[in-house]
Amino acid sequence: MLAASATLPLFLALDACAGPDPLASPPPLSADVRTLFAAAFAEENLVSLYKRTAAAYSALAPALSPLLAEHLAHLAQLRGRIIEPPGKRVPHTVTSRPPIPATRTAAVAQLRAAERAAASAQLRRLADATPSLAQLYASIAASESTHVSALDRSVR
Amino acid sequence: MTQGKEAAQALQALQGALAAEHAAIYGYGVVGAMLSGADQATALADWKLHQEARDTLEAMIVQLGATPVAASVAYGLPFAVRDAQSARRLAAVLEDGVTQAYLGLVAVTDQTLRTFGALAMQPPANRAAYWRGFTVAFPGMPSGQVTND
Repeated sequence: MLAASATLPLFLALDACAGPDPLASPPPLSADVRTLFAAAFAEENLVSLYKRTAAAYSALAPALSPLLAEHLAHLAQLRGRIIEPPGKRVPHTVTSRPPIPATRTAAVAQLRAAERAAASAQLRRLADATPSLAQLYASIAASESTHVSALDRSVR
Repeated sequence: MTQGKEAAQALQALQGALAAEHAAIYGYGVVGAMLSGADQATALADWKLHQEARDTLEAMIVQLGATPVAASVAYGLPFAVRDAQSARRLAAVLEDGVTQAYLGLVAVTDQTLRTFGALAMQPPANRAAYWRGFTVAFPGMPSGQVTND
């Protein structure tokens, strides 16, 4: 009791000091990390779209499989750059689940459109990124552009 | 980074991209000689695209007040090219080299050049995938894979 009484004024004194409060909510995410989260969620959406398209059209699965694997590699790289607090995991979040079209041709067209949109979004992330992250976004954008061509060639 | 250092870094990256385009133009001469039919026509079209890219880069470097790096008289090939198969493989290697060089531009501070590099790496990445016959996860990165930095 004596010890508690003796330490109380010290806590009050610390509370009066200006500066970061370690017990307060975590600091806001930096622009770089918010962009990284957006890129990771975009990849989650693409992975989900590929998986659901392949499930709906099994004949497409062999052609879609390598492209899906590359998106999973993108996702792993993006998530690998997010430092998670001890004991916490960044959730796998799919923010967009468009329905799979009723025809195979339309389903592939939807994948192509998603790849194009994803590549454009990566380029918009370049501006505020560190050189290393900018190169990652640019490389993923280039990969997504090759997927558009691969879908044109392989899935007819 | 000071402005002078940023400008020097940008110029170095542009010169690197130009050097890669020079190498591709030379290499496609070898590639085209070993191909026929539709593949040869594709190689010819790709060769012309690299010449256009070279001209664009030279103009950009001149605009910065520098002298564009010249093409070498000859280039060592990474492997012997004796048939259509090895010619296609060389075309993919050349395109990989150009893609990697443009990725270097993405690391500069100048936002216009950064976007230019990111857009410029997409056509060679696509041509590399065409000649190789498959895509890679990280075009422009060494071996198509990301390395930790």
